[in-house]
Amino acid sequence: MGTAVDEDRLSETFAALANTTRRAILGRLARGAATVNELAEPFELTLPAISKHIKVLEEAGLIVRGRQAQYRPCALDAAPLREVSNWAERYRPVWEARFARMDDYLRQLQAQSKEKRTR
Amino acid sequence: MTDSNGTPDSMVLERTFDAPVELVWQMWTEPEHFKAWYGPDGASIPVAEFDVRVGGTRRVCMEVDSPNGLMRMWFAGEHLEIDLPVQLVYTESMTDEDGNPVSPDGHPATTEVRVELEDAAGKTRMRLTHVGIPAGSPGAAGWTMALDKLAVHVQASVSR
Repeated sequence: MGTAVDEDRLSETFAALANTTRRAILGRLARGAATVNELAEPFELTLPAISKHIKVLEEAGLIVRGRQAQYRPCALDAAPLREVSNWAERYRPVWEARFARMDDYLRQLQAQSKEKRTR
Repeated sequence: MTDSNGTPDSMVLERTFDAPVELVWQMWTEPEHFKAWYGPDGASIPVAEFDVRVGGTRRVCMEVDSPNGLMRMWFAGEHLEIDLPVQLVYTESMTDEDGNPVSPDGHPATTEVRVELEDAAGKTRMRLTHVGIPAGSPGAAGWTMALDKLAVHVQASVSR
């Protein structure tokens, strides 16, 4: 974790996810493996266009493709998504520290206004 | 994904503050208050500008003492939802001083922060959600649902 390689890979995952069609493809694959033809079906897109999206997802490591002749079914690989999850978790200690400071600050602020009122 | 309702790209934190909701709301929306708590330890917030209305912009500068001298980081965003004083949703992107987006490695270009406040007998329960891919971003419809499905899949492969 936290190496330059991971960072690059995470950028790639986010770039791959930043597209409605590709997310829909992943949503479909979460239900099970499918061929390119099956994946293309719900979209009004040409096979080359779908293939392009699949290639992006494959390069990001989000899908793996079988080796069975021309069908080469696609399957979801969730590992990069776990890294995305880890990414969000990185913010946790940052926010926790902030909230500890907010807590202190609120106490100070309220102690001050109490003091003013009783004076 | 230790918290409930977490999607694979989000983080949820809950905390109760011994202060009224209105005051906690001001912590987020009034620059002088915001500056007092937001910066990480060893950092200061020289600039915090909030146009607190839907579509209004926000701009934050964080100053960090680094071995190479003072380093300034800029963040810009937009307010997506405002329900005074209980809900605040905004986007955040890293930018240069002039507001041009810079894309840090390993991070999505834009993230979304959601703050929800609730009165709890004079105290304030705050729920913070930090999302890697904003719900309001283009084509985000269906994304949450897709992520939920994926979350199940991810969980399954984690426990494998």
